[in-house]
This record gives sequence, C-alpha cells and structure tokens, in this order.
Amino acid sequence: MISIRRVSKFYGDFQVLADCSTEVKKGEVVVICGPSGSGKSTLIKCVNGLEPFQSGEIVVDDVSVGGPKTDLPKLRSRVGMVFQHFELFPHMTIAENLIIAQTRVLGRRPNEAMDKGLKLLERVGLTAHAEKYPGELSGGQQQRVAIARALSMNPICMLFDERTSALDPEMINEVLEVMVKLAQEGMTMMVVTHEMEFARKVARRVVFMDEGRIVEDARTEEFFGAPRSERAQQFLSKILHH
Amino acid sequence: MGYHWDWAVLFRAVPTGETTYLAWMLSGLQMTVMLSLSAWAMALVVGSLMGVLRTVPNRWLARLAAGYVEVFRNIPLLVQLFIWYFVLPELLPPALGTGFKQMHPVAQQFLASMVCLGFFTSARVCEQVRAGIQSLPRGQMHAALALGLTLPQAYRHVLVPMAFRLIVPPLTSEFLNIFKNSAVCSTIGLLELAAQGRQLVDYTAQPYESFIAVTLLYLMLNAIVMLGMRQVEKRARVPGYIGSGK
Repeated sequence: MISIRRVSKFYGDFQVLADCSTEVKKGEVVVICGPSGSGKSTLIKCVNGLEPFQSGEIVVDDVSVGGPKTDLPKLRSRVGMVFQHFELFPHMTIAENLIIAQTRVLGRRPNEAMDKGLKLLERVGLTAHAEKYPGELSGGQQQRVAIARALSMNPICMLFDERTSALDPEMINEVLEVMVKLAQEGMTMMVVTHEMEFARKVARRVVFMDEGRIVEDARTEEFFGAPRSERAQQFLSKILHH
Repeated sequence: MGYHWDWAVLFRAVPTGETTYLAWMLSGLQMTVMLSLSAWAMALVVGSLMGVLRTVPNRWLARLAAGYVEVFRNIPLLVQLFIWYFVLPELLPPALGTGFKQMHPVAQQFLASMVCLGFFTSARVCEQVRAGIQSLPRGQMHAALALGLTLPQAYRHVLVPMAFRLIVPPLTSEFLNIFKNSAVCSTIGLLELAAQGRQLVDYTAQPYESFIAVTLLYLMLNAIVMLGMRQVEKRARVPGYIGSGK
C-alpha cells in the first residue's frame, strides 16, 4: 500500500532524512517512534507530499508521490492525515469541518456530506458537539474530530502525527480507543507516537528512527522483546520507565 | 477676540440663491462618502489579492506583490494623486487619454481620486492580509492540503477567512484612514467635504464656523464607521479564541 524506497531529504546542507526505506502493507499498522528531531514526522509528511524530498521514491497505492504528473490533491484526498495539533479549522463549526472537503473535493452533496459527518461524529462519541466551534472542545475531543474529518474522505490509509501528544492521560485514552478500533477494522495506518502501549497492542511493526535514519524496522514483539540496536535499547529503557 | 460668531450663516442662501451653505457642505459630505466607500471596496479587493500573493509558494508571484506594496506605500499620497490626475492621462495611449479628458470634469476628478486612494490603501491592506495569513499555524495549510483541497481552495476556504477575522481591528484603522485621506483629493478640485469647508470660508468669511462644522462632520462619519466595524468585529469573533469573551 505504502512503500518508501531510499528517501533522502535535505534542508540546505542539513540532512533530515537519510536513505529511509520501509513498507506498509494493506491492513497493517506500523508505529514510527524515536527521539524528537529524528525525522519521524517529516517522513510521514513525505508520504502524502506535504514535504518534498530530494531523492528516493514513495509509492502509495501504485501512485508515485514525487512524480511530475502526480495529481497530489487527488492522492491526498485518499490518504487521511491527523496532525499533532489537530488543525481543525477554527472559524468553522465541527459539522462544517467535517463536510468542507467532502463537498469541495469529492463533490458530495451537502446533505449527503452532513449525514456522513454526523455518522462519524457518532462513531467518535461527539454527536452533541456538531454545532460547536473547535475552540470550545477539549484537546482529546478535537483530536477525535480530526480523526472523523480524515475518515469522512473514505481514505485508503491513515497517517497519524502525534509526536508529543499535548494531551493529558485521560484524553490520550479516549483518542487511542478510537484508533485501536480503527486498526481492528483493518485500516492501514502509519502512526508516529510515543504511546508504546498502543504500539504493543495494535502495531504489526515498529520503525525506530534516529537522526534521520531508520535504525530499526522490526516486528512489534521483536522490537519490544529484544531491540537490536543500542540506540533503540536506550530509547526504550527511558520511555518505558517513564 | 473681535470675532463675530454667526452659526446662522450655514442656513443662509448661497450667492446664486438656489440652495444654502449647509447644502453645499452636505453635498461635500456625500462626495467624501461615495469616494471613500468606492476606494475602500477597491482597496479590499486588490489588497486581499496582493496579500495572498505575498504568501504563495511561487517566489515570482510573491516578489511581484512585494514590489507592488513598495511602490504604493513609498510615494506620498499627494504625489500619487497628481500622477494619476495630471501625468498619467498624458502617458496613456491617445485614445484612452483623450477619452479620459473628454469625461465630465467631476467624473475625471472622482475617477483619479478613487483609483489613487484605492491603490494607496490596497498596499496597506495587502500587508495586513499577509500578516494575518502568516500568523496562522503552518499546520492549517497542511491540514487543508492533506484533505485534498487545492492551494487556491485552501486559501479561499481556510486561510483567508481566518486571516480576515484576525485583522478586523487594523482594517478598521485603514477604513477610518481612507475617509481622512480623501481630503487630499480637494487639491485636484474635487468638491468633497474639506473643499466645501474652504469654499465656505471664501464665500462667508466665517472660517471658524466652517471648519468646526467640517470637523464635526468628519468626526460623525468616522464614529459611524467605528460603530459599524465594532459590529463586524463581534460577528467575526471565533469562539474559543482569546478575546472572544467565551
């Protein structure tokens, strides 16, 4: 579904991604973790073309992301993305947030888009908030709306960028619950997170990054059981005893 | 002070007899309002477009817009007015230039004034729109694009509407400025409020009454604008944001 082949990215002289390769198969959940500044978030932003890269290739559902003829808006409309800071549109109500892309990008009729939006809102347990504005919801609620917004486009896969979840533990749980359900339904997911519990529970594989490189790409049991690299061992011991 | 106050002068008939001095003044007020509103409409449209261009990824478009701002922001308003009114008609292709000069004199003055004030103010609106857009988190653009919106759609539905909500207060200042700046247009003979005030002095030799009346009319005008913009500000508030009162 998503294949990343030898991708490198530079900001001027600074190399943010170095020769990264990995693969996410249909229905697979892959967690990407690593210390801050390791390039995790940049890597998943390359997957839907939000960040350009200088060499290598990323192919999503047989479409090359960096290709000169690629219709990026069309590709992005099929790849759901949830951002670290939610990035709901603050001047629109929750309902408007949920229908804008459905009507403008997919050409759905407003009432059809509204039905879909409300159904998804129900699914993330926020039906009562449809007419509120993002600024009136808690962080966890906003994050769930962001997930519903991405799902409203019927994506073929989902990207989650959650580097430093700015959420309190209770809220993390309500968001993770939604994500676990999504994974169980067979959604293909690439998730940047520090939530090792989540990784253990739902991820097929864990990709560990450091300084722009993929240091370790292992099955979840192997990664937690016996990480090969010293860097991943250090990281795990720190984050798990936290 | 031996000044002889005479407020009744306002209600006296003008030399030609068909109307009063107050009516002259009110026609000046009307001209000021028409000129300022049309120039403001123009400034909003052009300024928003240029403000957006200043922030687009395409470097050449952004530079073009930056150059535009520098030209219209760095030349005194009075000089710009003279260029539009006296110089440009001579430089235009003869057909256009003659066409302009054959228009009714008041239409010539009005057109030159509107275009001048419109472009001058648009450069300032442009900078505010740019500041508004740039103050939004980068993630907003990313989120819009990630949903499949095109760049123009992202601007139209996400960035610009939010940016405008943030810049209502400075836009109010610009809106007030345009009424005040319109007084400059009296220098090319347009009979707006300030010009009518001076004409009144010439005819009646009552400068204090004339200029006090003009001052009060400007104050009243801008008080109305301020009250109107306060309503706009209230409606533009985004719930959950600082200053939204919620």
